[in-house]
Amino acid sequence: MNQVVCLLYPKIVGFKNRLSIKDRSVIIKLALGITLGLCFWAGIFAVFYRVLVYLKGIEALGDILAAKLLSMVFITFLSLLIFSNIITALSAFFMSEELQLIISSPVDNASLYGTKLLETMVNSSWMVLLFSLPVFLSYGIAYKQHLLYYCVLIGTMIPFIIIGAILGTGIALGLTIVFPAKRIKDIMILLSLILGIALYCLFRYVQPEKLVDPESFRTVVEYFASMEAPTSAFLPSQWATDAVAALLFRGHDGALFSLLLMWSTGLAGMVLLQRFIEKFYFAAWTKSQEASSAKLSRHTVVKRMLNRMLTKLPAPARSVITKDLYCFMRDSSQWSQLLVLSAIIFIYLYNFSVLPLEKSPFPTIYLQNFISFLNLGLAGFTLSAVAVRFAFPAISIEGESFWIIKAAPLDLRRFMWCKFWLNFVFLLVLAEGLIICSNYLLRVGSFMMLVSSVTIALMTFGITSLSIGCGAIYPRFDVENKAQIPTGFGGLIYMILAIVFIGIVIVLEAGPVYMVLMAQLRRASLQTVQLIKIGIAFTAVLVINAFVFYLPMKIGIRKLSALEKY
Amino acid sequence: MIKLNHLTKSFNSLVAVNDVCLEIPPGELFGFLGPNGAGKTTTIRIMAGLIQPSSGSAVIDSWDISRNPVEAKQITGFIPDRPYLYGKLTAQEFLRFISGLYHVPPEDTEGRIAQLLELFNLTPWGDELIEGFSHGMKQRLVMASALIHKPRVLIVDEPMVGLDPAGVKLVKRIFRGLCETGVTVFMSTHTLEIAEEMCDRIGIIQDGRLIAVGNVKELKETSGAVGKRLEEIFFKLTGEDKLGELVETLRP
Repeated sequence: MNQVVCLLYPKIVGFKNRLSIKDRSVIIKLALGITLGLCFWAGIFAVFYRVLVYLKGIEALGDILAAKLLSMVFITFLSLLIFSNIITALSAFFMSEELQLIISSPVDNASLYGTKLLETMVNSSWMVLLFSLPVFLSYGIAYKQHLLYYCVLIGTMIPFIIIGAILGTGIALGLTIVFPAKRIKDIMILLSLILGIALYCLFRYVQPEKLVDPESFRTVVEYFASMEAPTSAFLPSQWATDAVAALLFRGHDGALFSLLLMWSTGLAGMVLLQRFIEKFYFAAWTKSQEASSAKLSRHTVVKRMLNRMLTKLPAPARSVITKDLYCFMRDSSQWSQLLVLSAIIFIYLYNFSVLPLEKSPFPTIYLQNFISFLNLGLAGFTLSAVAVRFAFPAISIEGESFWIIKAAPLDLRRFMWCKFWLNFVFLLVLAEGLIICSNYLLRVGSFMMLVSSVTIALMTFGITSLSIGCGAIYPRFDVENKAQIPTGFGGLIYMILAIVFIGIVIVLEAGPVYMVLMAQLRRASLQTVQLIKIGIAFTAVLVINAFVFYLPMKIGIRKLSALEKY
Repeated sequence: MIKLNHLTKSFNSLVAVNDVCLEIPPGELFGFLGPNGAGKTTTIRIMAGLIQPSSGSAVIDSWDISRNPVEAKQITGFIPDRPYLYGKLTAQEFLRFISGLYHVPPEDTEGRIAQLLELFNLTPWGDELIEGFSHGMKQRLVMASALIHKPRVLIVDEPMVGLDPAGVKLVKRIFRGLCETGVTVFMSTHTLEIAEEMCDRIGIIQDGRLIAVGNVKELKETSGAVGKRLEEIFFKLTGEDKLGELVETLRP
C-alpha cells in the first residue's frame, strides 16, 4: 500500500502544483473552463429534465421510454468507459515516460498494478462521471426520488466504473501481448472515431424531428414497441439499469440483486486482472519496448503528384508544404479527423435535403433565401470548427522540431504564409462546397448564391488567418497527442474570435440582403438611400474581412519570432 | 568568421550570458567549455539564431545574426544537443526537406543525400521513419542534415552525446576534415579529453562570463597549472577543484 501511495505521490503533487499556479492566464483559463463546463452541465440537465417530464406525461408508454433511455445512457457510458480505458491503459501501462524509472526501481507488480489501474480509472472515468451526474439528477428530480435513490446510484456507479476500467485494461493488455502498443493506440483512436461517427449518422438517420410530427406518431409507437425486447442480461450496463430503474419505476424490486451482481463482478474482476498482470505484464511491456512503427509504404505516386503540383513554388515553401503533407498522411491522430469532417459534411448537406420548406406558412422563395442567408453563418461556424482542428494546430505540430525552422535560413513570415496558403486552399474548397451545394439543395436565386459564395470566400481568408495567427500566438509545441492542440486556451480564444467575426459579418450583411430580397419579392427597384446603405454595409464587410485577414497573421508572426523557448 | 561582440542575454533577473567577446578565424575548431548552467547552450542558441540577445551581437562571416538572420543561417550548420526531428518523415525525406530550406540546388540534392547517409552509416535506414531511430542514429542524421548545404560555419552543442565509439571517431575525423577545408567549427562539450584532443583553441565560460580563452598551452599558463591535463585546468579555472573533498563526504 505504501508503494502505491509513493507511486501516486508525483501525480497528486503535480496536480496540486498545477492548481496552485498564480499565473493570471491560468486562472482565466480555469475560470473559462469551469464556466463552459457548468453551462454544458446545465444544458444536459435541462434537456434530460424536459424530456423526462414530457415522457412522464405519456401514459403507459412514458415509463418504458424513460427506462429505455436509461438503458441507452448506461450502454453509451459503458462503451465510452471501455474505449477510454483501453486508450488510457495503453498509455499508463506501456507508453508513459515514468515507466522506465518505475520498472527499474524495486517496485512489486501488485503496487504497479494498483497504481496504474487507479490512474487509468481516474483519468478515463472522471469526465463520464461528471457528465452523468446531471442525467441521473434529472431522473431523480423528475421522478421525485429520495435519499435511497442517490445512495443506490453511488453504489451502482462505483462498481460500474471499476468494471469499465477492468474490461478496458484487460483488453489493452491482451492486445499488447499480440500487437505492438503504438499501433494499438492508433487503431483504437480510429475505431472510437468510426464508432462515434456511426452513432452520429445513425441518430440523424432516425430523424428525431419526426417525433414532434403527429402524422408519423403511429410509426414511432410501433418503433418503440419493437424496442421492448430485453437487452442482454450479461451486460453490466443492464445490471446498472436494473438497479437504478428498480427504484425509479418498480418500487425497489430487484435493486439489491443487481447491486450485488455489479459489486461481485467488479471485485472478482480486480483479482483476476491482477493475476493476469502478474503473469503477462512484463512480457507485454518488453514487447512494447521492442516494437517500432510499421514499415512505411513508399508513396511513389503521391510523391510524384506532389512534386508536380508544387513545382512552381520556391524551394523552402515546397519543402515545408511537402513535409506537412507527409506528416499529416502518416499521423493517424491527424488524418483520422478527416473522417469526422466527412461525417459533418454529410450530415450538413443531408439536413438541407430533408428540410420541409413546402409545409411552412411563409412564401417558399422568402424562406429559401432566408435559410440560405442563415446558412452563411452556419457554414462559417462549421468552417471555424474545421479550422480549429486542422489550421489552428499548423504551427504547434512542428513540435519540439521547431528549432529546425528557426535555425534555417527561412524567414518566419514566409513560413507562416506557407501554412496559411496550404490551409486556405483546403478550407476554401470546403467552404465553397458547403455553400454552393446547400444553396443548390435550397434552390436559391442567383443573388443569394453570389452573395453567399463571395462572403464565405472572404470569411475564409479571415478564418484561416485567425486560426493560423492564434495558433502562432498560443503555440503548444510540447503536446504529446497532436489532437489535443486545439483543446487549449488558444483554441478557445480562436473559436470565440471566429464566432464574433462571423456574427459581425452576418449582422452587417443582414440589412442589405433583406432590402434586395424584399425588392425582388415585390418586383420593385431599390431606392438611392437603400443603395447607399447597401454600399456602406458591404464596404464595412470588406474592411472587417481585410482587418481580420491581416492582423492575426501579423501578431502571430511577431509572437513566433519573439518566442525564445525553441 | 565568428565574432561575438559584448554578447549578453538575460532571462528576467538571471544573466545567462554576460558581455562575451570572442573572435574565431576561418578553419578553426573552437571548443566551448563550462559547467552546467554556465551559459554555453544560451550562447550557442543565440549564434544559431534561435533566440535574440539582450544586447551585443553575434556576427557570422560579416552577417549579424539578429539583423541578417537569413544570410547568416544560410552559411551555418547547427547541431543541437537534443535531436528533435520529425518522426513521421523518413531519413531521406528529412534530408530532402532540409535541402529545400537551405536552397541546395535540386540537381545536387539526391547525390548529396546519398553521400551523407553513406558517410554517417545511415544508408540502410534511409527509407525508415525517424520515429524508430535510436538517439545515436538521430544524432548522426542531424549531423548529416547540418552538412547538406556545405556550411562555412558549424555550430555544435554536445556532439558526442549518444554516439557509439565508432560514431565518436567518425565525428572527430569529419570535424577536423572540415576545418582543413576552411570551415569554422564552434563546439560545446563536457568531454574534456575530446576538447583537448581536437580543439585549436578553447574558451571557458562560467556564470555567463568568458573566463579564459586560448590553446591548451595558454590555458595552462593562465591557470598556473603548467604540465597538468585540461581537466585539472578546467577545475582550477572554474573553482571546482574542491570536488574531491565533496566526493569524500559521499562515502558510505
